[in-house]
Amino acid sequence: MLRLYHWEPNANSGKPMLTLAEKGVPFESHYLDLLKFDQHQPDYLKVNPDGTIPAMVHGSNVLTESTPMMEYVDDQFPGPPLKPADAIERWRMRWWMRFFDSYFAPSLSMIGWAVFVGPSVRHRPRAELEAAIARIPLESRRIAWRKAMFNEFSAEELDESRRRVSFCTGVLEEHLGKHEWIAGRTFSLGDINGFNLGYALPLSQPDRCNDEKTPRIMEWLRRIYERPATKQTWKLGRTAMAERVKFLERAHA
Amino acid sequence: MLELWTSEPNTFFLKPLIALHEKRAAFTARWMDTDALAHFSVDHGGETEATLHLEREGPLLNHDGTWISGSSFMLEYLAEVLPGEDLLPSGAIDRYEAHASAQFLGAHLGALVPILGCVKYLAPRLAAHDRADLERRLLTVQPLERRNSWLALIDGTYTPQILATARERLKHPVARVESRLARAEWLAGPRYSIADIDAFAMLRVIPDLAPELVNAAATPRLCAWLARIESRPAVAAALATTRSGNPAQHFVPGVEPSRWG
Repeated sequence: MLRLYHWEPNANSGKPMLTLAEKGVPFESHYLDLLKFDQHQPDYLKVNPDGTIPAMVHGSNVLTESTPMMEYVDDQFPGPPLKPADAIERWRMRWWMRFFDSYFAPSLSMIGWAVFVGPSVRHRPRAELEAAIARIPLESRRIAWRKAMFNEFSAEELDESRRRVSFCTGVLEEHLGKHEWIAGRTFSLGDINGFNLGYALPLSQPDRCNDEKTPRIMEWLRRIYERPATKQTWKLGRTAMAERVKFLERAHA
Repeated sequence: MLELWTSEPNTFFLKPLIALHEKRAAFTARWMDTDALAHFSVDHGGETEATLHLEREGPLLNHDGTWISGSSFMLEYLAEVLPGEDLLPSGAIDRYEAHASAQFLGAHLGALVPILGCVKYLAPRLAAHDRADLERRLLTVQPLERRNSWLALIDGTYTPQILATARERLKHPVARVESRLARAEWLAGPRYSIADIDAFAMLRVIPDLAPELVNAAATPRLCAWLARIESRPAVAAALATTRSGNPAQHFVPGVEPSRWG
């Protein structure tokens, strides 16, 4: 059976989780607690030597990049297609997934790491945190964790991240005014990717994303939230982080 | 109707040109002098994807009225829709390898190679332009960091330390490609594909920009792979579209380096 190593249904972990649920593919779930640094422990490093989450093991194939992993799931398994049949829509889906992954998500996650991830671990003894950093295989992840643990994000870089989140929110709202879904007329991996990035935007960025300023984003998020696969996936969450999705209940509108 | 807004066949611009020649596709080339910032004046009707540019700069394709941007995804689009030589990896895991390769190399080579290339070749040419005129034409460019990448070249922001760091960080993607080529002849699956074209367009200039990193002694497999691709008639045809005669000396600012440090 396919094995998925993941954290909460959120960001990169949530992408393959929701994709598998949409396809109806059963999987063996291996929950790793990001805040306990499970992803840097020797057992997991045998699966993914880079120590990043998620990772998927299917037969002899080991997949560690979350967005290409979604395309693999769609290509490999039966179930409803999650890539549009139209080549232009497939291109648009991929363009937007890269826009989310490389531009929108890094800014949003910098804010998230500064206000949530860092404070969640910062109270631990300095020596324990330094030892945790020393176990991280990738230099880029060591830098990220150090910044979060020791509150080293500068005011300027956080301001720039907030500026970009505002900019991207506006760009997405405009896009959803032209297209029903991210790719166009078809629900696709682009929406799964975007939902994992943005499902908590109305809570984390209430001044930027709300029913008055971004009604199309709000409606798009609610439509995805109401899909059975989304409900099923977010039930796999173990912390209050996953509870945030309930803000999308229409009763809250 | 297939129209490609292109420039000197190097890095991002080289990718779709190779695919179009591999496919023997009929297309109309629209030339943009990127040194003169002509690519900011293409009338694409304000399409979001064409305005924002995933890689900050690069080719634009108009296919029957739809604007396609982003050189890797443009390459995949051409491979999907055009008849002719099959450039798509055939199995699900091979396609995963192609996507993962393009994502990883896009972030690393896409950011680092243009820094070295622009500082070595573009910045001296920009210095010959009228600075006030360049700045005026950059005023309306969005997003902001796309504008800033050009201003940084005009201002000489790139210190020797930044360039040394860029060279140091190139080691990781170069080693990854060399390692892959120790296990397989091509980057995704058992035959030449879009993954090879995508990587080739960025890697072929490193022997010039950072010869200590890519050479016959340090990276023999990568060098042999570059030579295999270089010898393909479609690649020669794509490179022959140059107007300067030195396409490998023409760069545009590329993907933004990670803001996380």
